[in-house]
Formats: sequence, C-alpha cells, structure tokens
Amino acid sequence: MAARRILIADDVAFFRQTLKDLLAGEGFEVVAEASNGAEAVEMTKAHAPDIVLLDVVMPEKNGLEAAREIIRLKLPLKIVMCSSLGYEPIVKEALKAGASAYILKPFDKVSVLKALSSLEKPDAG
Amino acid sequence: MDTSKYKGLYLQETQEHLSGIEQGLLALEKEPSDQATVDNLFRHYHSIKGMSASMGYEPIKTLAHAQEDLLDRIRSKRLHPTAELTGTLLQCLDEMKELVKRVEADEPLDADIEPFVKMIKILVEAPEAASAAPQTQLTPPPASQTPEAQTAEVKISNIMKVDGRVFDDLLTIVGDIFMALSSFKSLSHTLKSIAFKDGVHLMGKTVNRLHDNILSARMLPIGDLTMGLPRVVRDMSQRTGKQVELKTEGMEISLDKAILENLSSPLVHIIRNCIDHGIETPGERAKAGKRPAGTITIKAFSKMDRVVISIADDGNGIDVEKVTARAVSAGIPRERINAMNPTARLMLICLPGVSAAEKVTETSGRGVGMDIVKNSIEAIGGTLDISSTRGTGTEISIELPRTTAIIKTLIVKAADEIFLLPISKVKKVIETGRDDVANGFFKFNGASVPVIDLKTALGLEGGEALSDICTIILAEGQAETNERPAEGPESWLVGIKVDDFGDEIDAYIKPLLPPMSKLKGASGITIMGDGRPVFLLDIPRIASNILSRQ
Repeated sequence: MAARRILIADDVAFFRQTLKDLLAGEGFEVVAEASNGAEAVEMTKAHAPDIVLLDVVMPEKNGLEAAREIIRLKLPLKIVMCSSLGYEPIVKEALKAGASAYILKPFDKVSVLKALSSLEKPDAG
Repeated sequence: MDTSKYKGLYLQETQEHLSGIEQGLLALEKEPSDQATVDNLFRHYHSIKGMSASMGYEPIKTLAHAQEDLLDRIRSKRLHPTAELTGTLLQCLDEMKELVKRVEADEPLDADIEPFVKMIKILVEAPEAASAAPQTQLTPPPASQTPEAQTAEVKISNIMKVDGRVFDDLLTIVGDIFMALSSFKSLSHTLKSIAFKDGVHLMGKTVNRLHDNILSARMLPIGDLTMGLPRVVRDMSQRTGKQVELKTEGMEISLDKAILENLSSPLVHIIRNCIDHGIETPGERAKAGKRPAGTITIKAFSKMDRVVISIADDGNGIDVEKVTARAVSAGIPRERINAMNPTARLMLICLPGVSAAEKVTETSGRGVGMDIVKNSIEAIGGTLDISSTRGTGTEISIELPRTTAIIKTLIVKAADEIFLLPISKVKKVIETGRDDVANGFFKFNGASVPVIDLKTALGLEGGEALSDICTIILAEGQAETNERPAEGPESWLVGIKVDDFGDEIDAYIKPLLPPMSKLKGASGITIMGDGRPVFLLDIPRIASNILSRQ
C-alpha cells in the first residue's frame, strides 16, 4: 500500500517534530506542516493529503475553525484532531462536524498509530 | 518517548514563548482589554504546558497549566486583568524562566512552585473578578480575525532554526582550516609548482567565502537583545516611582551573536542609569516644564562597516561640576581636568570611583560600573561616547564592529602577569617536578623538548611558584613558514614554563597597532572583563627568539 500522505498542523514545532518522528517508518508520508489554522486550510488545498492532523489551539484559525473549513472543501481526506486534556468539548464539536478521530497530547506512539489505523480508506466526498 | 533528543527544540521554543509572555503581559498591563493579547498569552502558556508535559517537566507543566486556566478565564471574560494580576503573572514568569534555566543546565526540577500556584488560585477565585468583568465589555474587540487573502501563498519557510553553538563550532573549524591552509601556502613556496600554488590560492578564496558566510549566519538582529528591556524599564519605573517610555528604532540591524551577548549587561546598565540618575520624578519634570513621563530612545544605525547604538534619555543630564568634584576627590589633578574639553570631562564618569549619583540606589548603585560598561564595550572592539546637556538629557553612543575575531585561548600566569596562548597551538599541559626539567630540556614521548621559561623570555621578575611543581605548556613552537623536520612531531614542540595556568576562554582578539605592533612575542591583545589588557602570545616567535640565543 502506498504511504498515506499526512499534513500536520500545530503551532508548536516541538509537537510537529515529535509527531513526524513517531510516524517515521510506519507507512506515512508527511507532505506538509502548517503552523496555524489558516495555513492548514491552504496547505490542505495545495497538497490534498489523505489525513490532516489538526491541533485544537492554534493562532489565526483554531483547530475547530480549520476543521470546519476543510470539511467544506469536500476533499477525500480524514481529519484527526489533536489536543491535550481539557479540550473535550471542542474535540466533540469537531467530531460532530465531520472529523474522524482524535489523539491526545502528550503523544504516545501506540495510541497515535491506533487512531490513524482506525481511519478507513478515504473516499471521495 | 526518548525525550533527550527533543530538549534543544523544547528549550528554544519555550524560550520564545517565555519572551512572548513577557511582551504580552507588558502589553496587557497597558491595554487590559485587548483580546488579541489575551489570546496570544493563552496560547503561549498552553504551548509551554503541552511541551513540558511531553518532556516530563512536571513543575513547569503545573505552573503553565495554572496560568493557562487563568488566561482562559480572562479570555472568556470571567476575569478582568488587574495590575495585581499582571504583577503576579510576571512573578510566575520569572519562576518559569528559572525552571527552564535548570532544565538547560541539567539540574533537578525540585523547586517548590506551590506558592506560585497558590497566588494564581487566589486570583482565579478573587470575588471582585465578577464585578470587574463588565468593564471589559466596553470594548469587545473581535477574536483574532485575519483576512483570508493574507495566507494565499503556500510554501515552506526558508528560515531554519539552528542551535547557535553550531556556528561557534563552524567558526572554530574554519579557523582550523585557515591554519592548515597556511601550511599549504608555505609548502607552495617551496614546491614551486604553479598548479599547486593556484590550487592553494583558490582554496584560500573559498575558505574566505566560507568564513564570511558563517559570520553572516551568526548575525542576529539587535531587537533580539532589546526585547527584554521593556520588562527592565517597567520594573524600574515601578520601583523608582518614575514614568518611563521606551522607544526603539533600527532594531532590525544585525550584529554578531557574540557581540550582542556581550552587549547585554552594558545595555541594561545604561538603561538603569538613565532611569536612576537621568530621568526625573514626575513632580520634578512638571517643575521643569516637561511631560510627566520621561523617554528613553534606543536607536541603531549603520556607519560604514560598523554599527552605532545610541541610548538617549530626556532627563536632567549629567552635572559636569559634580563629576569634576568627584574626579578631584578620586585623585585626578584639577589642572588636568581644567585642561579637558567638555566631552572629556563627561568621560570622567567612566573612571572607577567617579559618578554623578548622589545616593546609592538599589538598582544601579552609585553609578556603578560606567567604568565596567566602557571596558566591556571596548572588550568587544567597540567605543563609547557620552554627550549630555544639563536639563535636557544624556546620550550614550556605542559604536561596534559587526563581527568579531574570537579565538579560544588558555590563560597562563608568569610573575603575577597573565597572558593568553592560542588553544590551537597548545598540545598538553603538564605538571611535573622541577627536577624533571634538566638543562632546559624536558623528556616527552622519548624526545627532548626545549623548555622556555616565560619569565626569562619576557624579562619578568617575581611571582615565584611556591611548590616544587613545575607547570609546562607543551605547544607547537615552529612557525608556519618553517618546514617541519622529518624526525617526528615531538621535534617541533616547545615547552613553556609558567607559574600557573587558568581557564580556557574565548577571547576577542584585536590586532596590535603601531607602535605596539613592534612588540616581539605578542600577536594580539584582548581586554579582560575587569578591564585588564592581556597579550596573546606568539609562541613560535618567542621560541625562535629564545632558542636561537641559546
């Protein structure tokens, strides 16, 4: 199976790096990194990734706003929300709006991979 | 997760967030209802919390978390930011900075943060919060809305984050290449091969380009340094009851990282002097017909290949008569002072023991350290000028080189004097019994190494080492222009007998100008932190002088 193309959106480089490192060699290709919500939307348009990892707390547009805009693009992709404890209401709203899964910070490899493998193959629309 | 590999990234990003918090809190103090400031602050705390949790830095996480909660309340208008609140958050910020410093130094994070968490809790539970909240609704700025068109371009930034020490290493490496290159150069004279000579020439040009590139990569904007000043000004204004505005201009101009680092404490010192001794209290200013708030303006601009940073205040200026009186009591002859022009008289405050301050203050003492300030500026190859008009203000102008010549050196001591040896030339430091040095030779790896007594070589006396231990620095004693003998590497070593040796230091070396350039045995000079000039010794030159005499 071809590597699944991922976009990572987090304003904290530390989290982008740790995520990239734990995805390395697991069948994913990180195609772009965004450091705010607005960038995440634009980069999604530009790179058409299979999976978009969206942090909840970001400048410009937060993760929820970005998720809603990306969903409106109707691209064949899955959205995974990332947050630390305490942001469950926002994550729930994102899931209601169409996000597929969520992962909790601090990241641990097992749960991240589990969440990602739970996503079925993306289909159009 | 193996956290150790992320420590560098953690420190770098956390420090950015900490300075973001400092700027945010200072902005909040001035504009408590600015929603964008509150949103930014919230994210800074949130990011520090998240990273610290991942790294397992529990106290930092807890402290950041408590503050994130507080900011969340402000964000959702359940709490109004009072001056007390920003004051507490600034205190907590200092504690977080301290904790991050410990992380950097690999020290245990066993500090008691409970008092800080408690202070935050008190703020969160403050009963007046509810009543104060409606005030914020007067100006409800919309949550950060940015026009969509602004982010139309999608690309990966060309800017990379690199640990600054990488450039220190690179510069050292280029220095080593320069040394190697000079051996090639001397070889090219002997070989008389045009192709070889051309090759060496080309390599020299390339290494020079590399050197220039590294120097430019080490450049940082002055703004990186002045970023912390608003906090200094704020704290001092509060302490002195004076109102001070800080203005900056030209902070995008870049200087070598090492110069900026060394500029930090002189700059803070000058600012403190401005507030302590320059700017008047609001009452005094009103009497003089000035605005209640004084202004400090920091301006940077380029001047040929150098950069000028001027720090000006609109305070009361320096009282030259008082400076003169103090200079006289510090032992400077009145006739000499009378012969001085006004500028030279002002510069008297840079002499130890001379100051225009009337009382000792908590922050800058009795004008402490204008002598130290001047020395530190000169130590990085800069100059300092003062101009002042009584009643209108003082301007301190610092002219600096953009880049530095910094080399690693070893401090050695002979006859109570200290000298520097370039580390690149030092092979080994040996402590041995006096008896091991026989007839001016010392056995090392089976070879007889000539030993030079530095005191004799430089014609110094006194400062005899007390014990029977003898310190010998084994160094490369052969000048680069000489061919290396075939017998083996030991044969071009020389032992330098010194009374003692000290630390390795990075020294900013200035070339010797005439008439000092005539000094045989010294290749440069540096000024130590305490203002003492120290020579960098030219080992091959000393060795050839002494050994040819024997």
